[in-house]
Amino acid sequence: MSIASDLIRGHTDTIILAQLQNGDSYGYEINKAIRDKTENRYELKEATLYSAFKRLEEVGCISAYWGDERSGARRRYYTITPLGRQTYERLLVDWESAKHLIDKLIVTEESK
Amino acid sequence: MNNRLREYIDNLFATAPSNMKAVEVKEEILQNLTDKYNDLIAEGKSEDVAFNIAVASIGDVSDLIRELQGLPQQYSKMAEDNEKQKQRTALLTAIAIGFYIMSPVPVIMMQNEIGVVFLFVFIAIATGILVFNGITKSKSQPVPDTMVEEFKEWRERNSGKNQLQKAITSAIWAVGVVIYFLVSFSTGAWYITWVIFLIIAAVEGIVKAVFDMSK
Repeated sequence: MSIASDLIRGHTDTIILAQLQNGDSYGYEINKAIRDKTENRYELKEATLYSAFKRLEEVGCISAYWGDERSGARRRYYTITPLGRQTYERLLVDWESAKHLIDKLIVTEESK
Repeated sequence: MNNRLREYIDNLFATAPSNMKAVEVKEEILQNLTDKYNDLIAEGKSEDVAFNIAVASIGDVSDLIRELQGLPQQYSKMAEDNEKQKQRTALLTAIAIGFYIMSPVPVIMMQNEIGVVFLFVFIAIATGILVFNGITKSKSQPVPDTMVEEFKEWRERNSGKNQLQKAITSAIWAVGVVIYFLVSFSTGAWYITWVIFLIIAAVEGIVKAVFDMSK
């Protein structure tokens, strides 16, 4: 977690929604996917993850259900709602334009 | 090991309100930590190292706890409902008692059978009000908004049944008392009519048995 986690933290919701695009998942699996994708350089704290789940659930972007207990562990699964998909698309567009602007603003001729 | 993690989580959430939402969040986090811990052990980490890494990944839960404390907004509505219900019960009970107290007045005033009829009408109205209040009163206590759904349903079903049983029982007694007075006044056989109360008790017992069996 050496990279600028503060910069990433603002995109926690987008990151979680992105993970759920591929299907329902639970907290640990989502966090593991994030860790794998970033080659162990980034993962969410449990507290951050659950605050985000609660927030996304409240606004209707995701919904939760308790998983099947037969698999041994009792897990709370999250699924993305149509509203969640819309929100994700919007956040993605927001990010693209923000990235573009930030690049223009902070990259100088010398650093190129 | 699971216990050590559980203990840690319990301590961490010691200041959180003990509602169902908090229990769920705790269970969810504990499950994830356990997964993480097991993975770390599988990777060859020692128990202590795995525990420390797992615990370190929790982060700052103070916001989460604050959210949990902010939750009980649904309760305040329920408390309001309860308050309303209390006032209604008080009013209806007062009216019913008023009728009870007033019921002998027609007998004293008229000194004839019509007075007795009014006495019963008054008693019937008063008892009716009390029974009505008992039946329509919902015994809902503030229940945290999420608990395992089945448990909630089970609980609702059960309390519904209990309420019905209570309503029937009170109706039996009210009707029984009216029958007792009607029979006693019309036959004058006061020396034997008290048997009616035994019958009422027996009927109540049967109703209770039927409910217990269907539970």
